[in-house]
Parts: sequence; C-alpha cells; structure tokens
Amino acid sequence: MNEPAAGCEFVEKSPPDLACSEFSSLYTEHSRAIYYLALRFLGDPQKAEDATHDVFLKAFRKLDQFRGEASVRTWLYRIAINHCQNLRQAWHDRHVFSNADDAVWENAAARTDSPLRVLEIKELVQRIQKTLDGLSDEYRLLLLLVADEEMSYEQVGALVGQTPDAVRGKLHRARKTFAALFEKTA
Amino acid sequence: MKQQTKLSEEQQQKQHAAEQQTQQQSPREFANAEEMLRYDAAHTAVPPAIAQRLQKSTGDLPGPKKPWWKRLFGGANR
Repeated sequence: MNEPAAGCEFVEKSPPDLACSEFSSLYTEHSRAIYYLALRFLGDPQKAEDATHDVFLKAFRKLDQFRGEASVRTWLYRIAINHCQNLRQAWHDRHVFSNADDAVWENAAARTDSPLRVLEIKELVQRIQKTLDGLSDEYRLLLLLVADEEMSYEQVGALVGQTPDAVRGKLHRARKTFAALFEKTA
Repeated sequence: MKQQTKLSEEQQQKQHAAEQQTQQQSPREFANAEEMLRYDAAHTAVPPAIAQRLQKSTGDLPGPKKPWWKRLFGGANR
C-alpha cells in the first residue's frame, strides 16, 4: 500500500486500503466515546451528531500530525473538547440554545427493552442531562472524562490542564455537586 | 411427573435468575456520578448516519499522507 486512495469505507468489512482500514478501525473503537462526550457536553443529539462527524473529519485530515505522544483516545478527545467548546461559545455569543425535544432522547433505550425499562432509561437520561447542564463546564467535562474507564487521571489532567492531584480534588467536588443537582431533578 | 416438577423448578430458577439480572441492571443504583455516566454511555448508540456522512465527506479528500503507525513502527509491521 503506497498511495492511499481517496475516501474511506465506514462499513463493517475492512476496505482494501490500509490507511482507510486503520481510520475505519479508529472510528469503530472511539466513536462511542466521542459521540457520548459531544452528546452530554452539548446536550443536543443532532448537534452531537454534527460535532462527532466534524471531529472525525478533522482527525482524518490531521492524521499525519498525530505524533503518538498521547493515546489516540486522548488526541481525539482534545479535538472534540476544542470543537465542542467553540460551538458552545458561538451559541453563547449568538444566544442560541439547545432545542432537543423528548423524541430524540428515546434513542437511549435499546429496542429490545421493555416499555417500562424504556421509560426508566428515558427518565434517567433526561435527569442526567439536566444535571450535567447545571454543572460548570469544568465539572461537566471532568466527570465525562473520568467516567471513561480508558482514561487515567494523568490523561484527564493533561486534557483539562490540571495535575492528577488537582483532578482528584476537583472530581470529589464535582461528584458532590452532581449528586446534589441530580436529587433536585427527581 | 417428577420430570415435570424438575422442569418447573428449572424454569423457576431461570426466572429467578432473570429477575435478579434485571434488578442488578436497574438504572437507579449507582455508587457515584461516573458510574451513572458509564451506564448512560453504554446505553447510548452512535447514530449510523455519522459513519455514512463521514464516508461521503472523506470521499472528496485524499487519504492520510503518513499514517501515525508508520512513524511509530517504521512501517515494518505493515
């Protein structure tokens, strides 16, 4: 494989082109984490979909700039965080708010779940989003990153510009704030 | 008759196990915020439309010039 072909095949079977195959694997491995971060950080499934697309497109374009100093997950998170923060800043400047309605949250429950379970999950998802919306950007981001079991405190610290000890301290306060706000959403 | 009883017991055990599993999966019991977020993330599906859009978007672009794994492994592995 000397010259990568244009475009990538994001389907189940690996395409013949190696670069695309690797990028396709990268998408398969990390898309859930990036989409989830965007979803809960932006609070809007449609905007999260757009953001995830844009993040992976940026990653595709910048793949040659990835130096391997951080993990791929950390690198993608950095792109995603910058992108989402820019979006939120732009909305703030234009006084735009999320207009996600109830219907879009129903995707959270699997189709095989019972109607009761679907309702439970839907309610939980709405409460989680409401709670996260009530947190500062710093606490929201911290909790979302720490919730990713692939991320160490060191990696989270590098992403949020804090030492691992500072991450632990802030995480304690973020948990308490989250729990207090979550109770209020009941 | 004995066989029926045994079958019935097995069914009850299966039902009990299924109920326990459902209770264990109850979304209402979490030790902390991260655990709740992990549960939420596990139930969040990535919309297939993203992959389709990416396929179209990257279709107009040349592939990556120097993939990172070539720099990392010197291209020896591939």
